[in-house]
Amino acid sequence: MMSIYLFWRQPSQMVDRKRMRTSNFRWLLSKFVLLYLMVQVTGALRDLKCTTNNLKVWDCSWKAGFESVIDEVCVEDRSYSCHQVEKTNIKIPALPPGDHIMTAKSSHSPANSLSKFILNEKNVSFIPDTPEILNFSADFPTSTLFLEWNDKGSAFPYHVNVTWEIKILRTERRELIKLETYNTNLSGKDRVHQWSWASDLPLECATHYVSIRCYIDYLHFSGHKEWSDWSQMKKIPWSPNSQTKVFPQDKVVLVGSDIIFCCISQSKVLVAQIGSTLCPLIHLDEKNVAIKIRNISVSENSGTNVIFTTDDNVYGTVIFAGYPPDIPQKLNCETHDLKEIVCTWNPGRPTGLVGPRNTNYTLFESFSKKYVTFKRAETFTNESYQLFFQILPDQEIYNFTLHAQNPLGKSESAQLVNIMERVSPHTPTSLKVKDINSTAVILSWHLPGNFAQINLLCQIEINKANSKQELQNATIKGVKNADYLIDVNKLNPYTKYTFRIRCSAETFWKWSKWSNEKQHLTKEAIPSKGPDIWREWSSDGRNLVIYWKPLSISDANGKILSYNVSCSSHEETQFLSEVLDPQHKAELPLSKRDCIISVVAKNSAGSSPPSKIPTIEIPNDDLKVEEVVGIGKKILLSWHHNPNMTCDYVIKWCNSSRSEHCLMDWKKVSSNSTETIIESDQFRSGIRYHFFLYGCRNQGYQLLRSIIGYIEELAPIVAPNFTVEDTSSDSILVKWEDIPVEELRGFLRGYLFYFQKGEKDTSKMRGLEPVGRSDIKIKNITDISQKTLRIADLQGKTSYRLVLQAYTDGGVGPKKSMFVVTKENSVGLIIAILIPVAVAVIVGVVTSILCYRKREWIKETFYPDIPNPENCKALQFQKSVCEGSNALKTLEMNPCTPNNVEVLETRAAPKIEDTEIISPVAERPEEGCNTEPENHVVVSYCPPIIEEEIPNPVVDEAGGTSQVIYIDVQSMYQPQAKPEEEQDIDPVVGPGYKPQMRLPINSTLEETAAEDDIDKTAGYRPQANVNTWNLVSPDSPRSTDSNSEVVSFGSPCSINSRQFLIPPKDEDSPKSNGAGWSFTNFFQNKPND
Amino acid sequence: MSQREGSLEEPKAESSISLLPHLEAKIRQTHSLARLLTKYAEQLLQEYVQHQGEPFGLPGFSPPRLPVAGLSAPAPGHAGLPVPERLRLDAAALAALPVLLDGVRRRQAELNPRAPRLLRRLEEAARQARALGAAVETVLAALGASAHGSQGSPTEAATAAAPAPAPGGFSAKVLGLHVCGLYGEWVSRTEGDLGQLVSGAPA
Repeated sequence: MMSIYLFWRQPSQMVDRKRMRTSNFRWLLSKFVLLYLMVQVTGALRDLKCTTNNLKVWDCSWKAGFESVIDEVCVEDRSYSCHQVEKTNIKIPALPPGDHIMTAKSSHSPANSLSKFILNEKNVSFIPDTPEILNFSADFPTSTLFLEWNDKGSAFPYHVNVTWEIKILRTERRELIKLETYNTNLSGKDRVHQWSWASDLPLECATHYVSIRCYIDYLHFSGHKEWSDWSQMKKIPWSPNSQTKVFPQDKVVLVGSDIIFCCISQSKVLVAQIGSTLCPLIHLDEKNVAIKIRNISVSENSGTNVIFTTDDNVYGTVIFAGYPPDIPQKLNCETHDLKEIVCTWNPGRPTGLVGPRNTNYTLFESFSKKYVTFKRAETFTNESYQLFFQILPDQEIYNFTLHAQNPLGKSESAQLVNIMERVSPHTPTSLKVKDINSTAVILSWHLPGNFAQINLLCQIEINKANSKQELQNATIKGVKNADYLIDVNKLNPYTKYTFRIRCSAETFWKWSKWSNEKQHLTKEAIPSKGPDIWREWSSDGRNLVIYWKPLSISDANGKILSYNVSCSSHEETQFLSEVLDPQHKAELPLSKRDCIISVVAKNSAGSSPPSKIPTIEIPNDDLKVEEVVGIGKKILLSWHHNPNMTCDYVIKWCNSSRSEHCLMDWKKVSSNSTETIIESDQFRSGIRYHFFLYGCRNQGYQLLRSIIGYIEELAPIVAPNFTVEDTSSDSILVKWEDIPVEELRGFLRGYLFYFQKGEKDTSKMRGLEPVGRSDIKIKNITDISQKTLRIADLQGKTSYRLVLQAYTDGGVGPKKSMFVVTKENSVGLIIAILIPVAVAVIVGVVTSILCYRKREWIKETFYPDIPNPENCKALQFQKSVCEGSNALKTLEMNPCTPNNVEVLETRAAPKIEDTEIISPVAERPEEGCNTEPENHVVVSYCPPIIEEEIPNPVVDEAGGTSQVIYIDVQSMYQPQAKPEEEQDIDPVVGPGYKPQMRLPINSTLEETAAEDDIDKTAGYRPQANVNTWNLVSPDSPRSTDSNSEVVSFGSPCSINSRQFLIPPKDEDSPKSNGAGWSFTNFFQNKPND
Repeated sequence: MSQREGSLEEPKAESSISLLPHLEAKIRQTHSLARLLTKYAEQLLQEYVQHQGEPFGLPGFSPPRLPVAGLSAPAPGHAGLPVPERLRLDAAALAALPVLLDGVRRRQAELNPRAPRLLRRLEEAARQARALGAAVETVLAALGASAHGSQGSPTEAATAAAPAPAPGGFSAKVLGLHVCGLYGEWVSRTEGDLGQLVSGAPA
């Protein structure tokens, strides 16, 4: 049915253009007929199908029907032809395009029926024959499959495009791994086609299969074109070697590529690794495994090891990962001798491959078709990449191509050269030098090579000591393997030269290497000029000393042997002396003071021109000594132009510390010069030099200027010696000496004088730096002629430190110091003593006068009248206390009207002892009262100032009380706060009365004085013996010393008083005991005053 | 037991031989040479492994001892043999080693052409093995024993079991490793065997 459908459809869709022009009517008619015929055919030919495999014969087949058997099929066209049927198919020649009515005849049918149908090319399928594989092979080392087949093109007499489809299957599982389309065309002949494919998996690792089919695209065939059937599968015949287990073996791969390794093993592979890195296993057939290495890195020389480890063995292979050869770089072809060409190059990037895998280089010359191959010495790592190519006769142009090849690829580099322009000669050898004269030599050398066709350009390097290098070029006609000669002129006589030479072709390409150096000393010549001379008259004026400087090497032109000195005048020339070198002066007695001295230097070649100098020295009276200081180790001297000076100027100099006729050196300048710079290696800083400028006129020299100077001034190295000439109480006169010139080291500019108070060896004086020190006084003495200095306004009897320094423009010299003590000022001392004494006397006198005039007031104020105790009833002595002792009396307290009398305390006998007032009056009863010392009561009269009551338990127990009255006279004079303070500090002292305890008995004189006082005192009876009173100043140190044996208290009334009580009018002068006072106290400040 | 007894009895026979001063000197000289070559063989093996790449030289890598064409390792019962017999085996092995070492050197010249020290050591090892073998044969001759004709020669056994030469670089490396190892073993064994003669000689 499908065929019928196609039969019906195709005419309607693929109608020919010609038919398109027929009328619709005819088209409808034909369709009707066709439909009829189809109905006819379907009855006899079921599933009719027509194919062709060569476009020449159509093979139509159908299914046999039960109703009838087709015997013959006829084509109803111009040449009616019938074809016998073979069973159910018929082969008929290919019909031209268009519908063809076919008639099928069946002889067995009852009606001998005819079945008609239309057959068109469009209903025919074109199915090529199945391709036949001629050969399927493999190249195992490269894992490449090769396929060969025949296209059977002879079957198609036309040009037909063919598409081949090839499929590669792998392993027993027939896994498709490659499907390749391959296009060819058929040209009417049988052709064998080849196709290859490189497998990523080594072919040894698994069985590989191949099959092929084709599709012929014949454009003029309007039928259906189909692929042929797949050919029969072919496989690679592979019987694995029992030894080799791992594939590929020793393969060379590109760095960075991926590669698969497999292991063919009967036992299970446990581990696979590349180097020391483990790899995952890919399982192939049976126990075969593979690993895939991605982006492999460059191998070491012996390759990268790939290891498969099984239960019982280790299998492995080596892979060499590297790079294809780089393009040879810097290919350079040249010749050294015009015999062979040397081509050198740089191999570029290393390939990482060595040994048999290393890069092979071949140098090919295209004109001559000759080539040379690079032989390498593998053991050397620093290979020299060069090849030698023999120069061919009559060939100047060479076209070289350097081919580089290794297992991973190839590269090349080319160069076209004219070898005549690429000449780089060998290094010249056997360089020799031969003298011509003192200024010319001949150089000869050998240069191997065949340079007969070219000119050589040679360069001679001439080196002379202390001179600039000189290069001379020379062009020489080339010869074949011969020596070359060349003249070298303009040399200096008697000079050591070093020669070397190099050459190139005249058409310059490269210089050869320099030859070895050759030293040569040229011959001597006569000295080119006479020596530079000077003369000095000896100090006695009799001898003339002639000096000359040795000639320079360039002027000597040889070794100077001697000097001839002669004297010439108008009349004659007198030979004076011959001086052998190296002596450069001659002292000669000269009879004539007017002659011309000439000096001639001689060497082996002859004598120099004479150098002349007049002996006459013209005096100059107007001469001053000037000073000059150098700049940058040089001395600049200038002078005014003097037209009288017709010869030249001469500056001579010497060290000024030397003798007057010293001569260090001299310098001559032309007569038109007005300045010159003097410099010498002998000049030293800080050394004074003396320069003399001479002018030459009228055949005689005149001293024009005398100059002293320094190249560089330095600070003095010593300090000036100074002494103190005179010293007074307020001034010092200092005198110093000059510093010697050698130690001054510059022009003296002044002195610095420091002085300061200070004594020797005090730390303060160790550093005497005036900076920031206000106590240091400085005097800058710029008048260098001044040699003394008086320092005034000093203090008497004071130590001063004096320091003196000299200075130049080069700096300040060292210090020299001295300590001086000024004399004492006696008048001042006397004044200082007398003034205070006078003031004290005056104050004392004034005070005394005042006190005298105000004595009444003072007495009333400070010393009022005291009532007579005898008039008081209270003063009744108790007879019962100590009978028989009339001397012992105590005061009766009752009738008395004291201000306040109060018993403060009673004490036990031992303690009372401390407070007892020992007096002559009290001594007598004491002797008889030894048994009851506790009843010994001392009663005093006291003004009502202080009242204190201290309970005493001891007294209470005794059942009695005793009263002690204190007269606190002191409190009347002391500041108000003082008593409280004292009480707080010493409570024992405060309430008690210690000064009463021990009253020493004073001297007899004092006692007498005391008795006198008692007699003169009316009505007053002190409680104690007044003889014990001491008239001591209350401010005396003794009075404050509690431990002192001499204790004093002031008032005869109160033992507590420390003030003198004012005596009666005629007794107001206190009596001093003289102790503890001196004249110095007169000036002493006392804190109590 | 018989082997042990034999080994104990042999020094007695050797002591009578060692009375000859020149023989004793030759034995000592050959022993010194063998001792020196033992040291050189260790250095050679170390140098060889160093140039073969990983995993050669790694602690866990130990390729199986493939049979080497022309030579086998010293047999376990080597020590039980009489000294002359042992020396005969030593001489035979030392005679086979130069060829093997030359082969290793050639393969290494391809694999490691830029390892001149290794190539030089291999070349010297072949020459030294030849010299030591000749010295041992001289000692054997002096002892009155023939250097040939011994049964169970390591060279014969090896030849019989020698497989086809391995073509791959890895096999060449492994083979070279074994050859260098065999060189060291046989030189060391020779030193031990000669040492017995030296120790058996009167002081």
